[in-house]
Amino acid sequence: MRKIAWLLSVLVIGIGGLCPGAVNAQQQESQRRQLFKEGARLWPVYCAQCHNARPGSEFAPYQWNVIIMHMRGLSNMPAENAQAILEYLKGGRE
Amino acid sequence: MWGSRYFGPAILFMGVLLAPAFRAWGLEGAGRENLSEIRREIRELEADRSRDLQLMEKLEKRVDQLESQNSQLKAANAQIKSNASQAAQQVKSLQAQVEAGPSPKTMASAVSGYLGSHTFTLTGSAGVGFVYDQQSSAYTGFPNQTQNAFFLDWEPMVLYRPNDWMMFEGVLSGTFGQTGTGVDLSTALFYLFPYDKLTIGAGLFDQPFGDWYETQSPMWVNRFITAPLPFGVAPVVPPAEMGVEARGGLQWGEVGQDFDYTVWGGQGPGYTSNVLGAAVTSPIAAANKQTNGKSMGARLRIYPLPLDANVGRLELGASTYDGKWLSGNWMTSWGLDFAYLYGNLQARGEFLRSYRQMPNGQPQDNREGWYVQFGYFLTDLKVPGLDDQVNKYLSKFEPLVRYSGVNQHFVSSDDVQGATGIGLGGVQVGFIPDFGLNGSPSLYAPHAREVALGLDYWIAPSIVWQNEFDIELPHAGGMFVNSNGVATGVGATPNDRAFLSQFTIGF
Repeated sequence: MRKIAWLLSVLVIGIGGLCPGAVNAQQQESQRRQLFKEGARLWPVYCAQCHNARPGSEFAPYQWNVIIMHMRGLSNMPAENAQAILEYLKGGRE
Repeated sequence: MWGSRYFGPAILFMGVLLAPAFRAWGLEGAGRENLSEIRREIRELEADRSRDLQLMEKLEKRVDQLESQNSQLKAANAQIKSNASQAAQQVKSLQAQVEAGPSPKTMASAVSGYLGSHTFTLTGSAGVGFVYDQQSSAYTGFPNQTQNAFFLDWEPMVLYRPNDWMMFEGVLSGTFGQTGTGVDLSTALFYLFPYDKLTIGAGLFDQPFGDWYETQSPMWVNRFITAPLPFGVAPVVPPAEMGVEARGGLQWGEVGQDFDYTVWGGQGPGYTSNVLGAAVTSPIAAANKQTNGKSMGARLRIYPLPLDANVGRLELGASTYDGKWLSGNWMTSWGLDFAYLYGNLQARGEFLRSYRQMPNGQPQDNREGWYVQFGYFLTDLKVPGLDDQVNKYLSKFEPLVRYSGVNQHFVSSDDVQGATGIGLGGVQVGFIPDFGLNGSPSLYAPHAREVALGLDYWIAPSIVWQNEFDIELPHAGGMFVNSNGVATGVGATPNDRAFLSQFTIGF
């Protein structure tokens, strides 16, 4: 009985050890989609606070990384909102 | 005799008897030879058979080999066919990919990988404009002028990001105006992002007082061409600071309900001269002139409306900036600001006050200023009866109105007859038109008032053709201080009109 329990434990741990990559990838993709949706909601509001909201197509994703840093510094917007808007602007290119 | 009598027959009998044997013996000899021959033949046959068998075995093996080779060839042929089919599919797929071009994601990944982790981006703005200012009369002691001039301004902004928690930004300003060309360093600072709710900036930065200097002054962001009076020729607080700032924001309620803070310390305020009414100069001058003390500032802003309420976005802010100038004299200031955006409507305004101690027993130099502006995008406009194309053009317009004013007891001759704004960090001093300045002498009245009407045509979110009509309505009164510090009363002030038109791109 003890052996069976031990084997089951090894099996469960083994499966758990093999799968985290896939689970993490799924979670990351899910989080990315969630951020994208949130960014789409925040983008017209937070950007228009100071100026017309500019579409993601205007700059390359690597440029948005820099521009959003600049905007976060200038506008003091919450970091998580800046991240969501960045995801939306970059996602629009992908 | 008997013997001889019987000898013959005996011999005959023996002959008869033995004849078959002899014959058989004779025959046997011949048979032996035949047998031997047969045996030899048999052996030969056996040898032949053995060879045949060996040959057959060889042939069988060969047949087996050939069959095996044949089956291998068949398998190889099938594999080649399969590979050829796959290759054809791949070629087709590649052709399709080539025809479709690389996906943006692939392209982005490739470009990012190629560019490396240190990224460098150039943004900024550029504009070309025209000013027509019809001045109705002279300002106290100065001839009136009518201005017609073209202007160009280019403000590249460099952003450099070595990693995800550090960046540098710098803005240069190159202006071509009526009096020549000027280049100026507007801002240059490092940003550090050590923590989600904290950003540290160090260097030369726009004064984080209210909204105007920091976020509304870039030419493609400003809905008008000129600055509101409290931030233009007679600024109530210095436009920039050299120092360190700490800032950040957080969500305190639902999405959209935010709070943000900015605190900073810097080199301190400076003025064009130590006479009453002298305008605040650029921070470059401030860092080198009249500043024997440091400054401190703080700004708090709150956004009370949740996003999901769909009632727009409201910002309420309060700011203060205080420091010493000219060997221990205090300059203090405070301000309130708001911004409200709802659909196509945008409204914003600020009120600010400053108090400056003067040397040599002169009265305190107090100032106050304000502005309020409204704009409305005609995006949803559809005039019945008009052609769709015309409606499309109309929908790109944004009519605007702004009222601004400044009250101060004194104005300084340094301001009125000073140089143009070129090379002065965007602070326009002098009544010659310059980029973003209509050049009206009325702007320098102690009680300046201005109504600005605007009509922007938005080609793209950051490309705009702006038109502005300024109506100067200064109130009489106040004092004029000459370069010797002698003050005289200001009587009637000119009420003039100006028209400005500008094409601007934010890139």
